Amino acid sequence: MAANNPDPKTGEVNLFSPEFAACPQPVFRRLHEQCPVTRAAFTGSPVISRYDDVMWALRHPEIFSSEMEMAVALGTERPMIPQQIDPPAQTAFRKILDPRFSRRRMSEIEPAIRAHANALIDEFIDKGECEFDHEFAIPLPCTAFLSLMGLPREELDLFLELKDGIIRPRVTSDDPDEPTRLRAATGQRIYGYFERMIDERTRAPRDDMIGYLLEAEIEGKKLSRSDILDICFLLLLGGLDTVTSTLGCNIAFLAANPEHRRRIVEKPELIPAAIEELLRWETPVMGVPRVVKQDVSIRGVEIKAGEIAMLLLGAADTDAAAFPNADAVSFDRERNRHIAFGAGPHRCLGSHLARMELTAAMEEWHRRIPDYAIKPGETPRVSPGIREVQYLPIVWEARRESMP
Amino acid sequence: MRVRVDSELCVGHGRCYVLAPSVFGEDERGHCVIANEVVPPDRESQARMGEANCPEGAIEIEEE
Repeated sequence: MAANNPDPKTGEVNLFSPEFAACPQPVFRRLHEQCPVTRAAFTGSPVISRYDDVMWALRHPEIFSSEMEMAVALGTERPMIPQQIDPPAQTAFRKILDPRFSRRRMSEIEPAIRAHANALIDEFIDKGECEFDHEFAIPLPCTAFLSLMGLPREELDLFLELKDGIIRPRVTSDDPDEPTRLRAATGQRIYGYFERMIDERTRAPRDDMIGYLLEAEIEGKKLSRSDILDICFLLLLGGLDTVTSTLGCNIAFLAANPEHRRRIVEKPELIPAAIEELLRWETPVMGVPRVVKQDVSIRGVEIKAGEIAMLLLGAADTDAAAFPNADAVSFDRERNRHIAFGAGPHRCLGSHLARMELTAAMEEWHRRIPDYAIKPGETPRVSPGIREVQYLPIVWEARRESMP
Repeated sequence: MRVRVDSELCVGHGRCYVLAPSVFGEDERGHCVIANEVVPPDRESQARMGEANCPEGAIEIEEE
């Protein structure tokens, strides 16, 4: 039961329950009030939930480090760059990468995103229903990745398959090691694909992301081949599920809250503010892990070096001490310092890309399908961790459009 | 009114120059740059909006 999360006796919070993934805000509220620094059920990891504490941890990578052994979990052989390395090395890579992900650069690929959003909507609009996750939210961010990398649209299916092979390996047996093996195998295919891209561009230079990385220098030295591979791996994984999840959380919320939906349909210029407020309220990447490098005490709770702490971005973003009327979703919120993209040196590299994708998708969707609801009798299903609405059946009144 | 950005704190969220482009600009990395610290009266509300939406608290406003 959600009401027993966190456990009233021990304060332990279950971060994996489906109820929590579907509706985490009441659990966050109880964490703030009862046990702002607590332990996770099953793993015993420290869990931090107040805005100020999460902020402090994000800004102290020397204590809360991103350098962890995630390799097995994600099919990689080495840390992904720059997400899984810390300053000062991380800063040097961000100086190279940030300009490639600036708001100005992202606006260059916006037309491709809008075109793909409309092409996806064309496929199902006359049916009057769709399963939003698979028919819209999953394919759309793949276009952004392909445009960013300068790859042809024909590669879409391949990358969807590779991404799924890492995030959701197709397990066929009860062998507990099978997911790890499948991820490693997919990881090898991903490395192989990018190896070929590097080879091609080394022979014939091109003005695209890998071409840029081949030319880039840190303190007068070119990046190594493995550096470039570790960046590409992150770019593939980083931008797909996160935007997919955010799109799903947004549409699920707006389907269930018609008064909010009507406001953005009547006033589309509110969409950017609505996106920010829904990022705050839903915070689809609800937590980020950090390796504790030295013993530290927060609000009287001792956290030991070597532990893996969970910084609950979603809890921080619903903390009443940081947001007046934190429990109210308001597209008119004037002060919104949400940290759905993290904060400090590891602020999401793709935040400008994500915002562009979300804006384009939400504008096109509501222009063409302004009135919709969750299919009667159905319940959306949300995954724990990154909150992807994996099953989101949406219905609307089908009608012939006069023009697309 | 004067407005300043602490470049040690700014990590390039970009909320300020998106919401208030008449006061805040961006460098190549997408970090905030302020061309003119002195904010004309008709842009004061823009400056406040930038300050209110910076997750890093990197923007400081000095009312005169």
